[in-house]
Amino acid sequence: MNDAMSIPHLIMNASTVVQLVMLLLTVGSLLSWIVIFQRTFLMRRARKIHRGFEDRFWSGVDLNELYREVPPEQETEGGEHIFRAGFREFNRLMPKTRSPQAILDGVQRSMRVAWSREEERLNRHLVFLATVASASPYIGLFGTVWGIMGSFQSLSMAQQATLSTVAPWIAEALIATAMGLFAAIPAVIFYNRLTAESGRMLGKYEDFAEEFHSILHRNLQGRSDAAGA
Amino acid sequence: MARRHARVGYGLPTLLAVGLHGLVLLVSVISLPASDHEPKPSSIVQATLVSTETVTDQAQRAEAAKQRALARQAEEQRQAEEQARQEAEAAAAQEAQRQTEEAEQAEQEAQRQAEEAARQAEAEAERRAADAEEQAQRLEQQRQAEEEAARQRAKEAEEQARREREAEAQRQREKEAEEQARREREAAEQRQREKEAEEQARREREAEAQRQREKEAEEQARREREAEAQRQREKEAEEQARREREAEAQRQREKEAEEQARREREAEAQRQREKEAEAQRQREKEAEEQRRAREQAEAEMQRLIEGANEPATNAQQGQQAANDFTALVRQAIEQAWRIPPNVASGARVEISVRLGPSGELFVAEVATSSGDGAFDRSAVQAVEAAAPFAELRQLPAHLQREYRRISFVFSPEGVR
Repeated sequence: MNDAMSIPHLIMNASTVVQLVMLLLTVGSLLSWIVIFQRTFLMRRARKIHRGFEDRFWSGVDLNELYREVPPEQETEGGEHIFRAGFREFNRLMPKTRSPQAILDGVQRSMRVAWSREEERLNRHLVFLATVASASPYIGLFGTVWGIMGSFQSLSMAQQATLSTVAPWIAEALIATAMGLFAAIPAVIFYNRLTAESGRMLGKYEDFAEEFHSILHRNLQGRSDAAGA
Repeated sequence: MARRHARVGYGLPTLLAVGLHGLVLLVSVISLPASDHEPKPSSIVQATLVSTETVTDQAQRAEAAKQRALARQAEEQRQAEEQARQEAEAAAAQEAQRQTEEAEQAEQEAQRQAEEAARQAEAEAERRAADAEEQAQRLEQQRQAEEEAARQRAKEAEEQARREREAEAQRQREKEAEEQARREREAAEQRQREKEAEEQARREREAEAQRQREKEAEEQARREREAEAQRQREKEAEEQARREREAEAQRQREKEAEEQARREREAEAQRQREKEAEAQRQREKEAEEQRRAREQAEAEMQRLIEGANEPATNAQQGQQAANDFTALVRQAIEQAWRIPPNVASGARVEISVRLGPSGELFVAEVATSSGDGAFDRSAVQAVEAAAPFAELRQLPAHLQREYRRISFVFSPEGVR
């Protein structure tokens, strides 16, 4: 119809500052979407792995067997990572001390470390998403204000200030705000969603760590009773 | 257990994110040009009302109607014209007659006035002359009395002289007395003559003054007559101008009435045509319908011929309502109109609009394109957005039909 008002045309005709702002916002939007996709996939996989591991853990398999299934140099994740960290520490401490309390302390500490690593892994890049979500509207607004300033400057030079002389300027300035919102809205939504997801996963890991800890505690208690008897 | 411990990489998410942005860009390029002028021009409408005159396709319909009712109309027009002319002529003649009468009357009056003035002057002169005569008579009597006295005195003196002559030296004295008396008489006569001459001179002077006054009065009367004539002429000219103006106004009014009547007839013709079309659709009622329509039209025509003034005023009221209606419609269209940017200032597009009986929009189409497709479309969209025009129902019935076909001219300065 009139390509003077189409969005690509407006972007091409915008002033340099506004174009830079638009570029920044485009990059921010792109990166935030990369993070969103990557985190979504990662969360889904972590959930799947955790479910599989819990099924196997509670299937009545021997813990030593479960521990030996995976070669020690291979990196694991989720609940399995916590289990391996705790069980390795348990196996290492068992020959060195007879105090069940000391063993349980060491196991708990190592499991907490593993949980903390899992937390760091799950929450990586989510801060970037939060930054994009909160900053890009302001960046877009800056571009709009700059563009409107330019439009008023051009208006002061025009002989007759009709709407059609300012309209393209304002439209192209408003595109910056639109792009800011375009970047911010998915970032906000997915930041909330992914944070909730990772919190839920970390809660599951914590539950598992507590359960594993109670199993080890029961084991040690039985062994010390047997040793005592 | 599936031991796929490959990390979740960034390759696929990057690909997906880029793909998403590309898709968004594509969508904005493809579909936004069509849709983006809906949110964008939500701002103030730039259309301004340039004039209140409305352009309808009345002319076309008028032509059609004229062809249909040409003979009838021409006859009527001729009649009306003739009548108007006769009336105007009669009025003019009467006016002229009256004016001449007035002029004559004024002239007569002036004459009469002059005569009267003359008569007055004459009477005055006569009275003066009588006065003078009387005075002269009185003087004469006085003189006679004096003469009598003198004669008596002379007699006495004669007597005395006779007596003195008788008394010896009386003659001389008598002579002397006689001489003296004669001298006295002469002196008296002399005095009398002088007085008479004086009187005569005075009378002559008076008569002269009288003549002078008469002349003056005459002059005055003449001047007055002239002034009167002048005034009369001026009044005549004024009267003439006024009469001309009146005649002009009369002609104008008659023309207007004629025009109104013509419009009325056209509307009538229009209605009849539509009625005929309807009747054609309804085949079975055709004959009755047509006959009724004809009768009605005839009655209407009769009514029009008999009293051209009454429908004229009706038509005027209807015209007023129609103007209001078109103004409202135009305003609504202007408010709904979003002028696309970068339109040439001379662009004009004529949109012909057909409305339903209750003002709903049937068709809005470009009658004369401006050459700018976007501009044409914007005009059509403005009409579509402004519809329905419920004000149509408030019009008189015959005008409703007329205004169901309107055409508007859109130019960047406004709708007309």
